Amino acid sequence: MSLLGWLLPAVPVVTGVLLVSGRFVLGRGLDRFAPAIAVGASSVALGLAVAAAVARPAVRFPLFDGLPAGLAVDGLSAALVLTVTSVGLAVLVFAAGEFSPDESRARFFGLMLVFTGAMLVTVTATDLAVLLMGWEVMGAMSYALIGFWWREPRRVGSAGISFVTTRAGDLGLYFAAGAAMIGTGSLSLDGLAGADGHWRDLVAAGVVLAALGKSAQVPFSFWLSRAMDGPSPVSALLHSATMVAAGAYLLLRLEPLLAATGWAASLVAWLGALTALLLGAVALAQRDLKQLLAASTCAQIGFMVLGAGAGTVGGGTAHLVAHAAVKSLLFLGAGAWLTALGTKDLGELHGAARRYRTVGAAFGVGMLALAGVPPLSLWATKDTVLAAALERSPLLYGVGLAAALLSAGYAARALIAVSRPIDAATRVDTEESGTRHVGPLEKLPLPALALGSAAGGVFALPVVDEAWRNLLGTSHDPGPGLVELALSGVLALLVLAGTWALVRRGGRARTAWTAPALHWLHLERLAGLLIARPVFALASALARFDDRVVDGGVRATAAAGRGAAGLAGRRIEIRVDGLVNAVGRGARGLAGLARRPQTGQAHTYYAQAAVLFAVLIVVVLLVG
Amino acid sequence: MMRENPADLLPELLVLGAAVMGLLAGSFLPRARQWIVGLLCAIGLAGGLVAAAFAARRTDLMTFDAFMLDPVTHVTRVVVLAATLLVIVLAMSPMRGHRRESEFYVLILLAALGTIALGATSDLLVLVAAYLLASIPGYALAGFGKDAPGTEAALKYFLMGAFLGILMLTGVTLLYGLGRGTSYEMLRAELGTAPDGAVTVGVVLLLAGLLFKAGAVPAHFWVPDVTEGAPPVVAAFVTTVPKIGAFAALYRFAAEALPPGAGDWPPLIAIIATATMTLGNLAAFAQDNVRRLLAYSTVSQAGYLLVPIAVAGRTDLAEPALLFYLAAYAVTNVGAFAVVIAVGRDDLAAYGALVRRSRLLAISLVICLLGLVGTPPAAVFVGKLLMFGAALDGRYAWLAVVAAVNSVASVFYYLRWIVPAFTGDAEQGRGLDRVAQWTACLAAAGSLALGVGSGVALTIG
Repeated sequence: MSLLGWLLPAVPVVTGVLLVSGRFVLGRGLDRFAPAIAVGASSVALGLAVAAAVARPAVRFPLFDGLPAGLAVDGLSAALVLTVTSVGLAVLVFAAGEFSPDESRARFFGLMLVFTGAMLVTVTATDLAVLLMGWEVMGAMSYALIGFWWREPRRVGSAGISFVTTRAGDLGLYFAAGAAMIGTGSLSLDGLAGADGHWRDLVAAGVVLAALGKSAQVPFSFWLSRAMDGPSPVSALLHSATMVAAGAYLLLRLEPLLAATGWAASLVAWLGALTALLLGAVALAQRDLKQLLAASTCAQIGFMVLGAGAGTVGGGTAHLVAHAAVKSLLFLGAGAWLTALGTKDLGELHGAARRYRTVGAAFGVGMLALAGVPPLSLWATKDTVLAAALERSPLLYGVGLAAALLSAGYAARALIAVSRPIDAATRVDTEESGTRHVGPLEKLPLPALALGSAAGGVFALPVVDEAWRNLLGTSHDPGPGLVELALSGVLALLVLAGTWALVRRGGRARTAWTAPALHWLHLERLAGLLIARPVFALASALARFDDRVVDGGVRATAAAGRGAAGLAGRRIEIRVDGLVNAVGRGARGLAGLARRPQTGQAHTYYAQAAVLFAVLIVVVLLVG
Repeated sequence: MMRENPADLLPELLVLGAAVMGLLAGSFLPRARQWIVGLLCAIGLAGGLVAAAFAARRTDLMTFDAFMLDPVTHVTRVVVLAATLLVIVLAMSPMRGHRRESEFYVLILLAALGTIALGATSDLLVLVAAYLLASIPGYALAGFGKDAPGTEAALKYFLMGAFLGILMLTGVTLLYGLGRGTSYEMLRAELGTAPDGAVTVGVVLLLAGLLFKAGAVPAHFWVPDVTEGAPPVVAAFVTTVPKIGAFAALYRFAAEALPPGAGDWPPLIAIIATATMTLGNLAAFAQDNVRRLLAYSTVSQAGYLLVPIAVAGRTDLAEPALLFYLAAYAVTNVGAFAVVIAVGRDDLAAYGALVRRSRLLAISLVICLLGLVGTPPAAVFVGKLLMFGAALDGRYAWLAVVAAVNSVASVFYYLRWIVPAFTGDAEQGRGLDRVAQWTACLAAAGSLALGVGSGVALTIG
């Protein structure tokens, strides 16, 4: 039983490490087999995840002195491991088709597997220490994957920004771990809500900071925009089942902690709702398909965060699972078009859905689901979250509903862009030279994901909803009412139709209004201005201090030492040197003397021994 | 109730039995098959080693009223037997087919037996007997080659031994008179009330014999001459094995026979130690003959070994320091002599570019010589460390300083040997002695192992 708990994360991690290190040992030869190996390992991981979801293994091991640590699969973890492994498999199959053999495939697939494995560790960890391990490895892998094409400076820069931003948030988790150690005496996730007094608030603050950073919520959202510079499969995985999902997962897992503090739950709920609203607006303004999808990821994660804040673990998790399927599907579709047509500009993608019909159909299903059209998945899951928000405050519900309508708006824009007929102004290859071909491996995962995106709508059925809650063990919160379901569905359809009509008539918003949204609310510039620049200024001031004062002192000491040495060399060294030589000469002389008694004649030996023993007696008698 | 169980002396009896059987067998075996005696003796020694190892696990006791079974005896037994075994192995090829091959092995065994008795006895009369048993085979061995230098060496060895032995007997007589007995127990009880000056004279005269065996100033004169003149294997033996028994006897006399404060023991030994290590080092400086160089090196080592003797009874560190140093010294010194035997030449020039003739032998030489200096991780380093600790703990800090200065000075002459072995010009000599070469490697490895495993070795001891 415990073996299963170890194997689940170990299979992808070990295979990934072997692939990456094997690339150094075996060279390019491994690149040919890497996709097959990775897909194999990923399939095994999916099988293990299914087994784990049924068998619910639990592993316990001592990590630090007296602190139990472990990996366990409970209801929430079971949902997550299934999502992670199945999305991971779909993405790897797609990548196997997309990546040409002359790329460094062993490195790519190896990193992807480690990335997935780290997420599996994160979602099965039962304590903060193990969770942090998975969390950190995941962050490092995201850096390596976003900067996969490291010969282009912009991509490496994006990787750096993503890493530094999430890493800044991660510090909160270390802080939380420290506070938890003091507050509860252990790092166990279940015990955090029971921490004493202010330590509980500190733990909650640290956790919220780390989760918001990882999930790219306001004000950290900008890193997700830069993360788009990675390969499409990376985006598909990073935006759906790993990385950003980890933040939402952490909040859902620690919902009792948030509820116990009170303020943290409200803060999280409002930040989630605000992110959903603001980033929804950002998505609406984007002209680039992948940027639109990125902003929409922030917005949709906002709903999960809202769910965690509003106390509906079931709704938030359902939204997470459904969104993982939808968003990986959409990113894979966008990636397929980018490879084939060489563009991801919404204005140039006209007719894309018509040229590649399989991709187009799947992408369409995904977009409709994203828009919240009944009876597709996100419609149902989002309304579960919103129902819980309505219980808390009507205002929160209002903001959430507005955000939901925005998602219908940007989904409509993307849908129209790819489905309208090709026209004279459409150009291809604006970013790279396309292959004009979507291979079978790339198409293979899309229908499966589309099916998942659509079938998630069953969450609207009360029976399914209840079974789901029983699975997660959160039976107390209410499901969405029929009125709300109908209202949001009708509104989504109305917005869809309205946007359709507006775009058809060629309506355009004024650039001045859309500019902030287009540039992601200038969050990156703000972060640069408010944080990066002061830090750099401080660093350069300290460097100047180091150069002038500390270094100056050291240099002055060295100069003084050299001066003293010169002085000593002139005045004293002659004498010291003379002394050393004298010791040498003396030793030589004594050595000559020491051999004198060894005359080789027995009678002198006798005499010497007798005299010496006599002298010895006299000396000892005198001394003693 | 006196304990008289012959099984207590099983290691000694095994060695004695091997010697007697070897002598008998040697009288009947043809010269070409005299090596069987060597094998017999080696088996006797190995059996003695095993028996000694088992005996070491028993509690301390006294047997036959004069033979102590305690850690000092156990270590003396094991080190003497092991070192003698190495010497026998070294002798196999130079003695092969010699006219008196079997006598050689038998004499070696008898001298080893005397050495063990020397270290284990707690009675002055047995001490004298053991002294004679350890010495007389040695005289014969020194002249074993029947050549001019060997004969001269044997004669000098014998004359010095006889003279100093007589001094020793005088000392024993004096102490017997003062202490009304010869057993250490008796002496300890009685010497405290005896006149101090007379005790000191008796002790110094007794020392004459033991210092002769230890090769320490002022009884060291035989060491360079015998080491140079006797066959190399014999040189390796007489500079290594008798020392072990002598130091054990010195320690035992200090710890068990002398009442605290009697005979001015610590200053007496401290003076002798200083003189011994200093003279040995200085005289080694300009030597071009490696055997003479090693001879003086063993004199200086005797000086270091006297340091724990000086503080015997004043600190608990003295006993482990002495015993560990003895074991380390024995294996390292035999290793250095094995290199000399392997090369087969005595002048320093013959060791030029030794590394090109045999890398393993050159490395063994470096390990043994730097080991004698006291370089970690070789065994003597740990021994020296314990020795310094014992000196400091026994409030003889100045002795530790003298020993440290001497150790630094000794690097000079060891390097005079090592450096040419790696840089000098190759001199085409005769082939290397295979057995001696492997013995040297074995001894070097043993020195390293003992040094690295010193923690384990010390807890067992």
